Amino acid sequence: MAQINPEEFTVTDFAVREHRSLWGDAWGRLISSNTARLGMFIVILFVFSATFSHYFWEYEPKKDLDYSLKLKAPNLIVTEEIPSIHPFGTDKLGRDIFRRVVHGGWNSLRVGIVAVGISLFFGGVIGLLTGFYETVIMTTIERIVLFGITGFLLGMLSAWISNQLIQLVVFTLLGLAAGYYKDILEGKLSRVGIFGLLGALGSAIPAFFMGASVALICGILGLLSGVLLSMALDGRFFSNVMMRIMDMILSFPGYLLAIAIVAFLGPGLGKGMIAIGVVGIPVYARLTRSAVLSVVHKEYILAAQSVGESHGRIIIRHITPNILSPIIVQTTMGLANAILSAAALGFLGLGAIPPEPEWGAMLGDSYRYLTSGAWWAVLYPGLAIMLSVLGFNLLGDGLRDALDPKLRT
Amino acid sequence: MTRYIFRRFISLIPTLIGVTFVIFMFQRLIPGDPAIAMLGEHATDESIERIREQLGLNRPFFLDRDALADGDLAGFFDSQYINYMGRLSRLDLGDSIHRRIPVLETLKLRFPATVELSLLSMIIAVVIGIPVGIVSASRRNSLIDSISMVGSLVGVSMPIFWLGLMEIMLFAVILKWLPAGARLSTGFEIEGITHLYLVDSLIVGNWAGFKDSLSHIILPAVALATIPMGIIARMTRSSMLDVLQEDYIRTARAKGLGGRLVLYRHALKNAALPVVTIIGLQAGTLLAGAVLTETIFSWPGIGRWVYDAILGRDYPIVQGGTLLIALIFVGVNLIVDILYALLDPRIRYK
Repeated sequence: MAQINPEEFTVTDFAVREHRSLWGDAWGRLISSNTARLGMFIVILFVFSATFSHYFWEYEPKKDLDYSLKLKAPNLIVTEEIPSIHPFGTDKLGRDIFRRVVHGGWNSLRVGIVAVGISLFFGGVIGLLTGFYETVIMTTIERIVLFGITGFLLGMLSAWISNQLIQLVVFTLLGLAAGYYKDILEGKLSRVGIFGLLGALGSAIPAFFMGASVALICGILGLLSGVLLSMALDGRFFSNVMMRIMDMILSFPGYLLAIAIVAFLGPGLGKGMIAIGVVGIPVYARLTRSAVLSVVHKEYILAAQSVGESHGRIIIRHITPNILSPIIVQTTMGLANAILSAAALGFLGLGAIPPEPEWGAMLGDSYRYLTSGAWWAVLYPGLAIMLSVLGFNLLGDGLRDALDPKLRT
Repeated sequence: MTRYIFRRFISLIPTLIGVTFVIFMFQRLIPGDPAIAMLGEHATDESIERIREQLGLNRPFFLDRDALADGDLAGFFDSQYINYMGRLSRLDLGDSIHRRIPVLETLKLRFPATVELSLLSMIIAVVIGIPVGIVSASRRNSLIDSISMVGSLVGVSMPIFWLGLMEIMLFAVILKWLPAGARLSTGFEIEGITHLYLVDSLIVGNWAGFKDSLSHIILPAVALATIPMGIIARMTRSSMLDVLQEDYIRTARAKGLGGRLVLYRHALKNAALPVVTIIGLQAGTLLAGAVLTETIFSWPGIGRWVYDAILGRDYPIVQGGTLLIALIFVGVNLIVDILYALLDPRIRYK
């Protein structure tokens, strides 16, 4: 009888196909697309010039000024009148526009990355948590934390009204207790009564030292908070609250909210980044949440749960890698949007502070000279905005096709 | 269906309260005192205090806990926010701080200008975007498809303020075909009910007025239409491609129906759903884009007005204008949701 000795076989005999990773496949699809290659080229060019121009070609915006060269048309050869070459012409202060366009890229890119970073981080965390706990039942500790935080937030109002820090402690404890003793009298009216009474008394008794009317108001608030805490708050409740807040941010048209935020914070690039980032949070939160909802019912999540992996580990190790592709696509396109919004803010005079070069601000500076024929001062910064945005959009499009062949159209 | 609509309405309430809250908060937290803005830097402390009292700015923002500690329950609720909500419920948006005229009146004057601009832009975007999408989908991967898809991506990537400036340069400065700004040339006046000049001038048969207002609106409308046009074209294409892969399309083709009939009669109907949604969602883009477009073209709409008011710290205008824009946005989204549920019964029972 022939003996089969496994050691005589090499691995290749079983796995004939060479190993191909998912990401490698996606990369192959990405570089086989013409439009994606074009987008990648623009993005690389843009990132490269924005990042390295500082090292190879110094520019000091504060010293750049030459009235004798004010608003000169583009020239490629040196003449007597214009002793230097300005391929994109000069602006109202005689500054070389080409140089400012190249150096302005750094500001736009920075705004884009930081703004998208803010939206992605907060939106992603909100989306992961809401999507996950909407379907998965919370553990005891998680429930206690949720109740505790709810109690803390509810207590803030009473604490402020009565000017007593103790109220905060009372409501946080009440919340923790409600989370811990979840099963006591569950679903019965007496549970509502007990917690309502505890809330009312816990708030009204300390508040009484501040005056009778304070006690009255705090008592009513405490009653309502207690009743809320007596309910079986779960992930669905948490998700609902978060999503309503996201809806609220979404109900302001993008620019307008960013303008309002910058108006509140004062102009400046850093503030522009925050404004654009905050406006973008709901987009990422919704996207992440729906992506989580689409994988959380899958068998591998169930398997991970049944072998007793912790919720945090499931979210990080099993859910996040599987929802990456829509998020990568959205991030790329989000960069395009953020650059566009930053340029709009700059154009309105709410972005970079002059003389810092920034494409939108350059446009806002120069457009008044359009009627006197200085088209170059407006054309080139705008072209730079459009090309860089187009680059990220093309790349995002290509990434979508590459990462999700099912959606390929 | 009624239940679905009712539910959507109820879920709107917290959003709306939140919107008023955010608008109120932002405007009050902006540095700078409106009383000083009204009276100038050299005003006496006394008169500033008097104006602050008149405007109710001396009250606390949300609730007055000091009044409560003194046992004054009515004083507790006498705050800027609650008074603001009270006035809002009476449709009183307050007076402009600088001009001293009611915000609502200026709003009524300026709102139609923005509506006219946005509507025309939307019409341009739909009329061009949908056919482009259909043609690209039906000739997938052809040269026409590639060109129109890259073209629509350029549209999506367009900084509209720059496009507006380029239009002005080309058509107003170099070619001198069209005016560079304003809604009407001086000397023209159009009376009417809708305050949409294009519609009004047609109703009364004022041809010269129609031509003049058209020549003024066309540049800003095209600039504003670019982004929605690109988005609509891309959405139409991908939605059509999805539908064209369905079995019933193959069946229709197998029965021998002509390509065009299948495309428009069978495919377009089912592909329209996501397109309708995306058109509705563009309302917000249009209203927000109006701030930029109106600034460039000196268009007397609410976008530019709100922007000027933010810079001038004219709180009541900012509150009124932002609130209106947010309300329209929320309203359009609601209509889109309801429309969607009407067209697709699966949504209702979720």
